[in-house]
Amino acid sequence: MIRLIRRRLAVALPVLLATSFGMFLLGAASPIDPALQYAGGAVSTASEENLAQIRANWGVDDPLPIQYLRWLTNLIGGDLGWSTSRHQPVGDVIAARAGWTLLLIGLTLLVVLLTSLLLGTIAAYRRGGLLDRGLRAAAYAVESMPVFWLALAAIAVLALALGWFPAGGLTDITATTTTLSDVAHHLALPVTVLAISQAPWFLLFVRDAVAESLLEDHVLAARARGLRGRTVLFGHALRTALLPFLTLIGTHLPELVGGSVLVETVFSLPGLGAVSVQAALGSDFPLLAAITLITTAVVLAANLLTDIAYTAADPRVRVDG
Amino acid sequence: MPTRRLLAAFAATALVLGACSDPSTAERTPTASDPIVLATGGEPDTLNPVLGFGVDGASLIFDGLVSRDGQNNLVPALAAELPAVSTDGRTVTAKLRPGVTFHNGTALTAEDVAFTYRSVLDPKVDSVLRSDLDMLTKVEATDASTVVFTLKYAYAPFLQRLTLGIVPAKALQGQDINKAGFNQKPVGTGPYKVTSWTPGDRLVLAANDTYHGGKPANSGVIVAFVDDDNVRAQRARAGEFDAAELAPKLATTFAGFTVQRVPSADYRGMMLPFGRPVTGDTAIRQALNVAVDRGAMVKGVLGGAGEPAFGPVPPNSPFAEPSVAGNTAADTAEAGQLLDAAGWAPDGDGIRAKGSQRAAFTLMYPAGDSLRKELALAVVADAKKAGIEIKLDGLTWDAIRPRMKADALIMGWGTPYDPDFISYKLFGSQFAGEASYNPGHYNSPVADKALQDGRDHADEATRKQAYATFQKQLATDVPWVFLTYLQHTYVVRNGITGVTPRVEAHEHGVENSLWWNVHTWTKR
Amino acid sequence: MDKRDVTPAAVIGLAVAACLLVPVIWPLDQSAVALDNISQAPSLTDPGGTDDLGRDVLHRSLYGLRVSLLVGVVAALVATVLGGLIGGVAGLLGGWTDRILMRVIDTIAALPHLLLGIFIVAMLRPSLGAVVLSVALTHWLSTARIVRGELLSLRTRPFIDAAITGGASRARILTRHLLPHVLPKIALATTLMVPHAVWHETALSFLGLGLPPHLASLGNMINDGQRSLLTGAWWASIVPGLVIVTVTLAIAALAARWRDRLDPRVRAELEL
Repeated sequence: MIRLIRRRLAVALPVLLATSFGMFLLGAASPIDPALQYAGGAVSTASEENLAQIRANWGVDDPLPIQYLRWLTNLIGGDLGWSTSRHQPVGDVIAARAGWTLLLIGLTLLVVLLTSLLLGTIAAYRRGGLLDRGLRAAAYAVESMPVFWLALAAIAVLALALGWFPAGGLTDITATTTTLSDVAHHLALPVTVLAISQAPWFLLFVRDAVAESLLEDHVLAARARGLRGRTVLFGHALRTALLPFLTLIGTHLPELVGGSVLVETVFSLPGLGAVSVQAALGSDFPLLAAITLITTAVVLAANLLTDIAYTAADPRVRVDG
Repeated sequence: MPTRRLLAAFAATALVLGACSDPSTAERTPTASDPIVLATGGEPDTLNPVLGFGVDGASLIFDGLVSRDGQNNLVPALAAELPAVSTDGRTVTAKLRPGVTFHNGTALTAEDVAFTYRSVLDPKVDSVLRSDLDMLTKVEATDASTVVFTLKYAYAPFLQRLTLGIVPAKALQGQDINKAGFNQKPVGTGPYKVTSWTPGDRLVLAANDTYHGGKPANSGVIVAFVDDDNVRAQRARAGEFDAAELAPKLATTFAGFTVQRVPSADYRGMMLPFGRPVTGDTAIRQALNVAVDRGAMVKGVLGGAGEPAFGPVPPNSPFAEPSVAGNTAADTAEAGQLLDAAGWAPDGDGIRAKGSQRAAFTLMYPAGDSLRKELALAVVADAKKAGIEIKLDGLTWDAIRPRMKADALIMGWGTPYDPDFISYKLFGSQFAGEASYNPGHYNSPVADKALQDGRDHADEATRKQAYATFQKQLATDVPWVFLTYLQHTYVVRNGITGVTPRVEAHEHGVENSLWWNVHTWTKR
Repeated sequence: MDKRDVTPAAVIGLAVAACLLVPVIWPLDQSAVALDNISQAPSLTDPGGTDDLGRDVLHRSLYGLRVSLLVGVVAALVATVLGGLIGGVAGLLGGWTDRILMRVIDTIAALPHLLLGIFIVAMLRPSLGAVVLSVALTHWLSTARIVRGELLSLRTRPFIDAAITGGASRARILTRHLLPHVLPKIALATTLMVPHAVWHETALSFLGLGLPPHLASLGNMINDGQRSLLTGAWWASIVPGLVIVTVTLAIAALAARWRDRLDPRVRAELEL
């Protein structure tokens, strides 16, 4: 297992480094002047000397390799830089928001996994039945809907027309403390929308995997021994299908992150996705680069964890490190 | 076993989510002591006045030496009375109101005032206000309650610049002001103290019970920052806010709320660069000025919340020159005559040309601003009818800036406080091409002299005369095609009392909006 | 042709025809507005209704589809070339090169596509080229995997051995024996990528990071339509949304059945 971790890191670290270098080059090649970004809305009242002064205070006139090394060493040392669009240390911006994004993604993953396991298994058991056909048709239809379009529809119907859920935000605006029920009420709609948009892939996978394993020898044997249908289904077929499913969660995380960016934007949730869109609109390189790199590192780590869990759960499997 | 536990957790979550859908919060009747909830898209970058927060006063957290009343007239705030200007106009002396304390309990002294202004002038501080105060040579605290400002030249509207919020020197001395924690959690003298600021979400303010202007009528203010116009409107309709600024077309009456349309000095117009073959031609500029249908823009783009604009001095200002106003509808025939006379002849494809030069140019707009995008589209359609082809380009500001000397741009500005503000730099030839003051290189000796006269003279009648000349000159040269003045549109919950709309500036958000006097608001 | 292919094929045919013909028979002035005809509900004369600047929603949706499909197809092609080259190198050389390349691809797959796309567009400024590049650079991995897998399995097949012992040149083996087997799979992968590329483009536009907002693109229109949704003009966002859903669904359905035919072991069983 240590070998697995070591081999993974041997590839992941250079890729991360290369990504950071590519991002830095792109940022340096971009025609964006950080001093103007800093001046922001007041740019029209700031004079040229004023801007030159801001530029000098910032050290943006140093040679590129020096700027890159400074950025990288600072990054590794935990100093993520200064966000030009938020006028705050990047670390503070991320720290204040990462939790909400993790909560959104975590809850969504939980909902997606439970519903897709349950529905996928039932659909596989009654292959070709009404539920199976209906679910698959719905899954393909949902797969071709942009998640932001689903989110708008959900807001229009469930929040504005029916008034069942708040239309956005994380807590009731007058709330002085963050209470669980308040957050749950506000997150219900975004989590549901994100879950619906991500579920088809998982649902179809479970359905196909369980359907296949229902035809495997040991499952057929269990049936032949006269075990009850439900026992065979959940005790044998699902278990066979479950392990490969676990590792696939990791590979699907990037999609989930992308979906959360859109959902956070539509529901004005104060998470990392929404702030990275604002950073992009404000050409805020330090913040955008830090969010992208950190998210990538987290996803890579999550992938590694699912693989480790997989090898631990099933010693027969050797994940090729 | 683990599966069962997971299922239980899921069921519990479902219960929580289900239980929360009961709308008890929406039906709660607010009491007078409840905080007032405001919503705006204009989140400040910083809460430090030195770096640009609440420059024009009404910043809720800070006070300037002076502030403005409901008619935008200057009244003393931290100054005991309006500061005295010497006869040569170059020395301004302010006496402080006694007994004022900052939120942290320390007393306000003249040193704090001097520190605030000195910090703005300090080149190490990334203050974008410095160029507004370039007439200032030094600020001195001559005693604990007296501040003396010394100016390089007489500057008629200097007192209007004293609305800048005063910060406590002790809290910032010796620090890098650009990155001080103060910028997020400042200490001021204003009616509200900062409880917390979650950027991108909300600013929570608590009433300052020892406010020198009297204890606020409510227990606090919460400002929700919702950047997106549509999301803000969605949440306003869900009843989350007591008052919210909404885009004009979205500010419609819904249950329990009233629309407030507040007149402003906030104009939108098309800047046309000089020195270019098409936009530099006076006939083209004059033709565009009469070809645009300002009435249709007010109705179709602003949903009626605005009025036609013909110059940078708003019609509600005492300095407005009535003769510059023109036809609110498009006059394509007159545009045609102007173009014909200048030799721009109709061509086969409906676009005019003069020799080999087609009457075509590029118009930029900031891509994130849907109002300017829509005005730009309306201008393009109107110009086409007059035989002028405009190509649109929606860009980010950093892409727009280097192109401003070459391409037209939908710009917005305006302040009701003094005609010298903004216009002096926007239309003065000494600022031609510099930053984005006068990007189009407008150069008119007449306008220059008029702007200078308006600045140098303290006498009201002389100034009026100067600005009348200035406005007429602009109407002839048309460096900008002014399109509309906006009315800022808000929705306010019924039962809120104390709302006093006053003419607003282009720049408004937490500060200087409909809620400039929110400390007197109550909610029933 | 299977009769179940008829509907999706017809939808795609219509979409492609619309993209090619609409500019000819019904050209759109991208900057035209009709401020006296705003937010009109769909009617017989105006089947898509008008948006809040009086522009014909259906007409603009068809133009938006054109932009989206163009971005989708070009980005998918660029991604295919990139993926084909890298997958080809891995599959042909095998050994250590292959192992390292595949490991790198697995790692790159963990990069969050949309965030990277946002980063690229933000730094290069929103434009058609930046959108195509951001989509292409994040979507080539599946093609690389498919090409590499096919080549590796082909290498062990007897007819390749026969060709090698028969003294065929490397180039000949590649063009005559390997490419004909790999090309259909590549074409399928490219087709499957198009809907993804379309969603990517619309998402970036929706976030304000795609095409300039006055141009008709499906993402821009849904973004604009968000406001109309609040003023009761639901059609301004529903119509462009339906266009995306219908066309991408048809492409996905057709591609899925095509895959079934190429590889009957895996049955996607998508029926419309």
